[in-house]
Amino acid sequence: MFFFRRKPEFPDFVRAYTDAPRPDPARHWREVGYSVLDIETSGLNHKRDALLAIGLVEIEEGRIHLNRHWYTLVRPPEGLEVDASSIRIHGLTRAELEDAPHADVILPELLARLAGRVMVVHVAQVDVSFINQAMRTRWGAKLVGPIIDTARIAMSLHETAKILGSVQPDMPMPAIQLRALATRFGLPSYGEHNALNDALTTAQLFLAQATRLEGAGRPTLRGLMKAGGV
Amino acid sequence: MEEIAAFLGNYPPFDQLPPSGLQRIARSVQIEYFAANHDVLTFGGAPSQFLYVVCKGHVDLIREGDGETQIFDSLGPGEAFGHPSLILGQPPIITVRAHTEVLVYLLPAALFHELRAEFPPFANFFAASAIERLEFAVRSRRDSAAPTLFQTHLRDLVERDLVAISPDATVQEAAQLMSQERVSCLLIDLPPYGVLDQDTGIFTDRDLRTRVVAAGIPYDTPVSQVMTTPIRTLPADSLVFEGLMAMLENRQHHMPITEHGRIVGIVTHTAILRHQSSSPVFLPSQLSRAQTLDDMRRYRDKVVATVGSLLDAGARVSDIGRVVAVAHDTLLQRLLRDAEVTLGPPPVPYAWMVLGSEGRFEQTLLTDQDNALVYTDDAPPEAATYFATLADLIVGQLEICGFPRCPGEIMASNPQWRQPLQVWKDYFSRWINVPEEEALLRIAIFFDFRKAYGELDVEAALRPVVLDARENRVFLARLARAALRNHAPLTLFRQVALQRQGEQRHLIDLKHRGTAMVVDMARLFSLEAGCNATSTVARLRQSWPESSISEADAQSLISAFELISTLRLRNQQEQITRGEEVTNHVCYRQLSPINQRELKESLQVIAGVQRGLARIFQTGMIG
Repeated sequence: MFFFRRKPEFPDFVRAYTDAPRPDPARHWREVGYSVLDIETSGLNHKRDALLAIGLVEIEEGRIHLNRHWYTLVRPPEGLEVDASSIRIHGLTRAELEDAPHADVILPELLARLAGRVMVVHVAQVDVSFINQAMRTRWGAKLVGPIIDTARIAMSLHETAKILGSVQPDMPMPAIQLRALATRFGLPSYGEHNALNDALTTAQLFLAQATRLEGAGRPTLRGLMKAGGV
Repeated sequence: MEEIAAFLGNYPPFDQLPPSGLQRIARSVQIEYFAANHDVLTFGGAPSQFLYVVCKGHVDLIREGDGETQIFDSLGPGEAFGHPSLILGQPPIITVRAHTEVLVYLLPAALFHELRAEFPPFANFFAASAIERLEFAVRSRRDSAAPTLFQTHLRDLVERDLVAISPDATVQEAAQLMSQERVSCLLIDLPPYGVLDQDTGIFTDRDLRTRVVAAGIPYDTPVSQVMTTPIRTLPADSLVFEGLMAMLENRQHHMPITEHGRIVGIVTHTAILRHQSSSPVFLPSQLSRAQTLDDMRRYRDKVVATVGSLLDAGARVSDIGRVVAVAHDTLLQRLLRDAEVTLGPPPVPYAWMVLGSEGRFEQTLLTDQDNALVYTDDAPPEAATYFATLADLIVGQLEICGFPRCPGEIMASNPQWRQPLQVWKDYFSRWINVPEEEALLRIAIFFDFRKAYGELDVEAALRPVVLDARENRVFLARLARAALRNHAPLTLFRQVALQRQGEQRHLIDLKHRGTAMVVDMARLFSLEAGCNATSTVARLRQSWPESSISEADAQSLISAFELISTLRLRNQQEQITRGEEVTNHVCYRQLSPINQRELKESLQVIAGVQRGLARIFQTGMIG
């Protein structure tokens, strides 16, 4: 008897996410839906540290819709001691987190909010590896994209500007911290180290960047992906 | 995200919303980013689906029509647009174009309508036009912290039913009825009582003293012969403040009030006093008690204090100006009467004229003397000496009482401005017929004349000369050009233009780059219309039907004038409180957002009328 390696049996909500139709890269960027995401974690190592909070805002028709924002804490796994030094950064106390819903409850909702949409993150690597880790250990699944990184777009725009000569070739890449970039675009920032505020600041930065790219003759999702796709 | 609520809460009308209202906005607002030159709303395009509030950057409001486009306003952070189209559900009548890259908060229509229904100040703010908003601002000033003076109606101060007696009754019967009923004023009338006709009059305890007892007339005289008739009345729903003003001006202590054309009661000056203890009604009685010039100086300080309390009470600057005019006139009349006692009666009738802001009833805190004297043409040679002595005396006393001398020597003590009537007529005609630079300066002061004291009816004698100017287009065009010499201080983008360098940085001169521009235009319109009012508000209100200004423009110019005057007066009052020198300069940055906005809109109104005036008089083309 042969044992075929079975294709992993995803739960329905994971399949709903992985099977959702991907946005068409040829579309105008304003016709695509985006979920702009930020997470807080207990540290930077996705294998050891835990996801503690998620903030998400949605963009439709080129506008941030705050009535659909989402913010939740996530209870850390049993036995994980949230480090005091990280509490100082994210401000989430152990007591708060103990009352929070478990990741098993949160992840299905997160996937529902990402399905069929473009995920937008500032410095995507951390957020993506944490979410992928959570999905892999539970269902052997991972994020399917498309994913756009606003920090990458910032670097592309800087490179383009160098080529076009509007900045000096030897000018160093400006800081890619979220707030520094927002300020350079003349955008307001919202309270720091709160996943929802950071998601909102990221979303505004994304609108500004997409508008710049549109003005530079790259109005489609494909243009955005080229500039900042992960 | 509290930042969104906090940001909006800085700006009108969101500052009128409770925190819960701001939270609701913050939770459901949408955010959009536009590239420079992008049309956010398009003239004739799809109706607005949102109330837009600029968060960062600037948008231009563009009027399109007759093949030309004109930027007529620019909005910055905290300013809203899209509501006219949203409210009416009709295509925008203007184009809104991003001037820079802009970040905009969008309030969905449903929320906007909810907030309008729940919060009237919010709804009023968006009640269509900028003009209406200005008027609303003026009105809300009046309502805010309004004391009884501005909230109570005369009707509410009627203390008892009317007591009436027939015109055939004798003064003795009238006196008996007054003492029996313990009233200080009777209505004299035949039934039906209170219907105003030739039989209607009033008779007061003061009339009894002065017209009967002191005059020594027999007590069986019919009261109809000593009553006051015709009588001045006010509608019963007039504000107490209006009643007070009328009483001050007419020096009457009883004000009959009417409803549906009938007298329904009499409001006494004591009833008002009981109602409002620190009122300007006290001023004249304080003056009558004053013995020395020092007392009068203190009186003048009280007038200044009264301005402060009226301002705090939310009075319109034009009303304050009238209170001050009455108070100053009373002082001046007292000084002149005393001088006539000292110097002997004048050889011929004369008039003491007050000029400029005093003539316009617009004098407030910063006041120096602007006056002149005119006497009849049949004066004997020694009259000149008499009036010279009188003028020197009065000008000196006014100075002691706290009115500095006019730096330009426009005072009755200057022989040039102390002349017989014919000389004055010649002055006026020459200024009109040869409108040179100096003449235009004179006109700005002398055409706003008003008689404060004297037997000579200078109004009847000189005003016709002034009104002759109406026929002289060249003169009017010159005057228009002079009125347009100062432009409303706005930048290309319709923002308030400020001094950029030096000590004057961020300052704006609210007189020369504000109220004076309106004053000059109002004078021109009143000349055009042949209107003899001297106050700026009255000139605008009365002259629009016959002059180059439309009713709507006149209305908004009045609102703009009131708002800038109020800002200026408040600023001066604060300077006095801080012990600083009193100036017309205000630091724009230190104004609250709502004041900044009102100032900007007021200046835009002025600029709009200036542009219209320039077109009508083609001022660019006169050499």
